Amino acid sequence: MRNKPCVYITGSIITRKRPQKVKVKFLKKFMKDNKYLLLSISSVLVVLFVWYLCVDVLQVTYQSVFPGPIKCFQTLIKKLYTSSPDGATLLQNLLASLEVAMLGYVLGAVVGIPLGIMMAWNKWVDRFVRPLFDLIRPIPGIAWIPLFLVMFGIGITSKAMVIFLNSMIACTVNAYSGIQQTSELHLWVGDVFGASDRQKLFKIAIPTATPMIFTGLRVALGTSWTALIAAELLASNKGLGYMIQNGSAICRPDIIIVGMLTIGVVGLIFDVLLHRVEIRVTKGMNAE
Amino acid sequence: MKKKFIPQNIISVLCGIASIFAFVIFWFIYTNGSTLGKMIPRPDVVIISLFKDIFNPIGQHTLLIHVCYSMYRVLVGYVIGSIVGIILGLAMGWSKVVEAIFSPLFRIIRPIPPIAWIPISIIWLGLGENAKIFLIFLASFSNVTLNAWTGAKNVDPKLIGASQMLGARKSQIFFTIVLPASIPQIFAGLQVALSSCWGTILAAEMVRSSEGLGWIIVTGGNNNDMKQILVGIVTIGIVGFILAVIMRKLEAVLCRWNKSGT
Repeated sequence: MRNKPCVYITGSIITRKRPQKVKVKFLKKFMKDNKYLLLSISSVLVVLFVWYLCVDVLQVTYQSVFPGPIKCFQTLIKKLYTSSPDGATLLQNLLASLEVAMLGYVLGAVVGIPLGIMMAWNKWVDRFVRPLFDLIRPIPGIAWIPLFLVMFGIGITSKAMVIFLNSMIACTVNAYSGIQQTSELHLWVGDVFGASDRQKLFKIAIPTATPMIFTGLRVALGTSWTALIAAELLASNKGLGYMIQNGSAICRPDIIIVGMLTIGVVGLIFDVLLHRVEIRVTKGMNAE
Repeated sequence: MKKKFIPQNIISVLCGIASIFAFVIFWFIYTNGSTLGKMIPRPDVVIISLFKDIFNPIGQHTLLIHVCYSMYRVLVGYVIGSIVGIILGLAMGWSKVVEAIFSPLFRIIRPIPPIAWIPISIIWLGLGENAKIFLIFLASFSNVTLNAWTGAKNVDPKLIGASQMLGARKSQIFFTIVLPASIPQIFAGLQVALSSCWGTILAAEMVRSSEGLGWIIVTGGNNNDMKQILVGIVTIGIVGFILAVIMRKLEAVLCRWNKSGT
């Protein structure tokens, strides 16, 4: 910040003397102001270039093992309007995945957050639910797949249940620790002013926990997106995970890479969106 | 004070036992004699076969050897991932240039689940141990990096300012202020990473394996052997729980000044 006025002044002095150098100065100033943005862009470009150089120009590996960026891009464009080889275009796959993920995620959040709040607020709920929860928590979502396939059949239910478990656990854990962060002092103040237990919960504890609950929602979104791919790798006929699986079955690494990047980019977009919502909702609630 | 605490502990232990017992009873009633019971074994069958498997081999090895195989893969990938993650995360939090270079790449790679890497890792690294360790490396790497990064970024700027005023060199600031201040965050990342690595072992062993807990579940699924699947699930749950407890204890010893919740 300190440098900015100086640059501006020297810029203006030079403008008076030698007007033809203004453009260079402006460019320099632009470079200086957006140094980090430019670095970020250039790093991505450098990776793409090295990828291109290694695969397409130097041909270190075969195209069938590690396709170059151009081929991947072509596949991406092609995949947007053709449904070969897996029977659905990229957007259809994406929508199918989103449907399953959202179903499981919303269910998980709806069950998980109240459960976490109750566990942290009520000693008896904690005592009875906590051991079971601790036992189920370390079991990864994929481990449940064979069991759920038997229980719920091959369909959207079993996939949604896998995602439900994953997102519920993240939501519960975060809501739990959020409520536990409630300051004793605030609760005492509530006691002094004669607040009922319910009022204390809704006016003091839950607002304190809101940022943590949102963290949980974000983590849960990530994990449910992860679990979705796992669920689709096993039994599905549409979806991004299925597309990747299919690409691996017919040895088309370009499709795999397109699928992975789509997953990554969509995950990133969701995270950013939820972060925006979080900032808006939890304004002023960051009680440290 | 002490007299008051001991009965509390006993009550919570009793409640825990009661709730697990209730769950098992529910499971028993649900599966005993029903149609679903033909596919899903009763809890007593599962528990008995869990104990049997400790002595009788499943496939080539007994249950404990399977656990050891899985553990070995998890630990190798986890250690490599944590070391790379801590270094990268701290560097990203410390220097803006490094952050600008690596953060876009990291943010694209991070949301890609390790399972989605399976086909690519088979093509690149083959079917051996490397592909499995690579998957676990990915699982731990992204968590640890993210935590180390935020940890190093959220160091109190007042402390850094104060040390600069007292004439500390850059390396001194890094080693005496930034590093200790970000250790609690790094530890939180390590904990999350360990449990997510343990979750990824299943995906890693789906690649191709002939031993390990993931193998138990995958083969159980292929052979429609529900008993074996449930034994695998229960073992993964128990070992994961033990790992989490060990990490928590370790954190309590190493970062005594910082008490993180649960």
